[in-house]
Amino acid sequence: MANILIIDDDPDMVLAARLCLESGGHTVDSAGDPTEGLKKIKANRPDLIVLDVMMDSATAGFQFALRLRGPDPDPDMARFAKIPILMLTAIHSTTPLRFGPDDQYLPVDDFVDKPFEPDALLKKVNALLKK
Amino acid sequence: MAEIHGEPSQLDVLLPRDLAAASTRLILTRWAAGVIVVLATAASQRLLGIILPATGLYAVGVIILLYNTALSLLARRAPSPDPATYLARLRRLVVLQVGLDWLCMAVFLHLTGGITSPGIIFLLIHMLMVTILLPGVSSYLYVVLGVGGLLALAILEAGSVVAHYNILPSLPTGLYLDPLFVASQVVFFGAAAFATVTLATGIMTQLQRRERQISALFQTTRAVSSSLSLHEVLDHLTRNAARALSTAHSSIRLLDETGDTLELAAAYGLSQAYQDKGPVELSHNPLAQEALAGKPAIVDETADDPRLQYSRQVLEEGIHSLVVVPIVGRSGPMGILRVYADQPRRFTDADAQFVMTIARQGAVAIENAMAHESLQRADTERAQFVRTVTHELRSPVGGAQSLLRVLLQQMSGELTPPQQDIIRRVETRLDALMSLINDLLALAATTTSGFQENPEPVALIADVRNAFDLRVTEAQEKDIDFTFSPPSDDPWVRSGHEGLAHIFGNLIGNAVKYTPSGGRVSVAIEVRGASAVTTIADTGIGIPEDELPRLWQEFFRASNAKKSGIVGTGLGLSIVKRRVEAYGGMISVHSRVGQGTTFSVTLPLCPPPAS
Repeated sequence: MANILIIDDDPDMVLAARLCLESGGHTVDSAGDPTEGLKKIKANRPDLIVLDVMMDSATAGFQFALRLRGPDPDPDMARFAKIPILMLTAIHSTTPLRFGPDDQYLPVDDFVDKPFEPDALLKKVNALLKK
Repeated sequence: MAEIHGEPSQLDVLLPRDLAAASTRLILTRWAAGVIVVLATAASQRLLGIILPATGLYAVGVIILLYNTALSLLARRAPSPDPATYLARLRRLVVLQVGLDWLCMAVFLHLTGGITSPGIIFLLIHMLMVTILLPGVSSYLYVVLGVGGLLALAILEAGSVVAHYNILPSLPTGLYLDPLFVASQVVFFGAAAFATVTLATGIMTQLQRRERQISALFQTTRAVSSSLSLHEVLDHLTRNAARALSTAHSSIRLLDETGDTLELAAAYGLSQAYQDKGPVELSHNPLAQEALAGKPAIVDETADDPRLQYSRQVLEEGIHSLVVVPIVGRSGPMGILRVYADQPRRFTDADAQFVMTIARQGAVAIENAMAHESLQRADTERAQFVRTVTHELRSPVGGAQSLLRVLLQQMSGELTPPQQDIIRRVETRLDALMSLINDLLALAATTTSGFQENPEPVALIADVRNAFDLRVTEAQEKDIDFTFSPPSDDPWVRSGHEGLAHIFGNLIGNAVKYTPSGGRVSVAIEVRGASAVTTIADTGIGIPEDELPRLWQEFFRASNAKKSGIVGTGLGLSIVKRRVEAYGGMISVHSRVGQGTTFSVTLPLCPPPAS
């Protein structure tokens, strides 16, 4: 149905997300770090990105999202600014604070907690693809 | 090398309040002086029958009383906020008083016999007053002025420019014309005045020195207890040591890990070039060796002392004498404190002993500050360590949990019922492991300052409601009567959102978790006096009475909670208690097995933030 890119440095998490999304009928590609992710986005524009937060740095995912669609994005990134981003993060289990998407501060469309509930992940992905 | 001026020093001999008090005393004394002049004139004339220029003397007494009235009004003006301006104003007032007194004194002496007046002795009181109130060269100036004035009066009277009044009939009438008598009066009085002023100045200087030392010692003691910043402590010490010895330059060097190099730790009144002169190595510095061996070392003239490692730089800096004392901590010598002076032979053994006293006090402060800084460093490192470990622990568990859930959802193919059962068991164990990791992180957060939020005023209702709302679904699923009753006015408490979310998330979560289906959980906030009391009451399984005292211990779980099969780590309540106490609050529990449990969290109220 849709072409989804998972960017996460944990191969098990990638496998779990891939199995879940493929069972929902999507085509899934993956990247182990933001650089590889960017290459894949340029090579084959995905319909949606599932993005991890802590990769090579503790805020790599946030930085990647800002680069793609921050308030001051790269000119050659502008064409990717419309791709929905679903952030996959463990941050909610470390802090009782709830993060929400914010166009200025955190330009992502939704969050899914790690470890994820497969049904919840599929539901959020499908909802974002429908928009 | 210029002396350092400008900053208002607490070490000045006469503080504004001292000068103001002295000024008030002068005014009081002058009331007496004015009255005595009038009464003594009347008594001499009426009772003793002495012939004297009474009108003039009455006038002097009345004039003294008149200008004293004006002075006492001036002295009553409120002090200026700026100490320097205030001190200058007080000095002007004293100079004005002394000047007026001087004029009256001259007239009084003239009217009571000029050079033959028995009142000459009063001039000494003036000299003393000036020496004490306006120390320095001005006191010698007044000696010259006084003696010169007396001589001028004698000459004017002898030359018949002004009249001479002889008030003591027994004195030979021509005495004031006798050059030998005039000369001897002036010379003897001059010598007495000079000696008085010199002695008084000496005593004042001594007092000044003492006061500086006491003040420096006091400041040092205060620095020991008031600051835990190493930088501040060292700064205080150098400044106080220099001030105590009335010089403007000092430094502290501390031994580094090699035990040979003395690193500059603080400098007061030294040029940057001098501070950067080069490494001070114990092996090349006989003075430092002497000092570190426990004895103060004094250099009387830097130009010809072979013990100096940097003699050229010392002379370029204008330093001619110095004293070096050891700073000895509990575990041995830590470094040296040096005080420098621009003049040669400036320091005595007593000075060196005094700096030793400061250095001993300083050693305690330095050790405390160092211990505090290393604790802070350790705390930050620990916070970083816990963060890393938590991430490293959580990632694999999270990966495994996600994979199992995908497997259980049969997203990678069909599972047989026994396979599903096995995977569900593994999943349960992993869930327990994950909550243990999360609770351990929360526990570390309560004891590691690197994790703690800065408490600030927080509106309590919203945060309790958030924690409440997170459990609504679970409560509905269990058909629990779940209620929240906030007060009409929002109480503010000094806390943090994260901590409050943890405290109430845990307590409300437990209440729902341990209350059987169809039960009741009620959350209420009440303001009682200066506190906000939040109660979480349930009709759950309760806690056995004999286990209540251990409830707050880490890893403790009540026996009936363990038996219930509900997963828990036993860390939640101990974290809750620590967090409540970190906000200055209290937590209490009432429980009965089979009937229910009520937790009360009492947090002190605080004013809402401005605006």
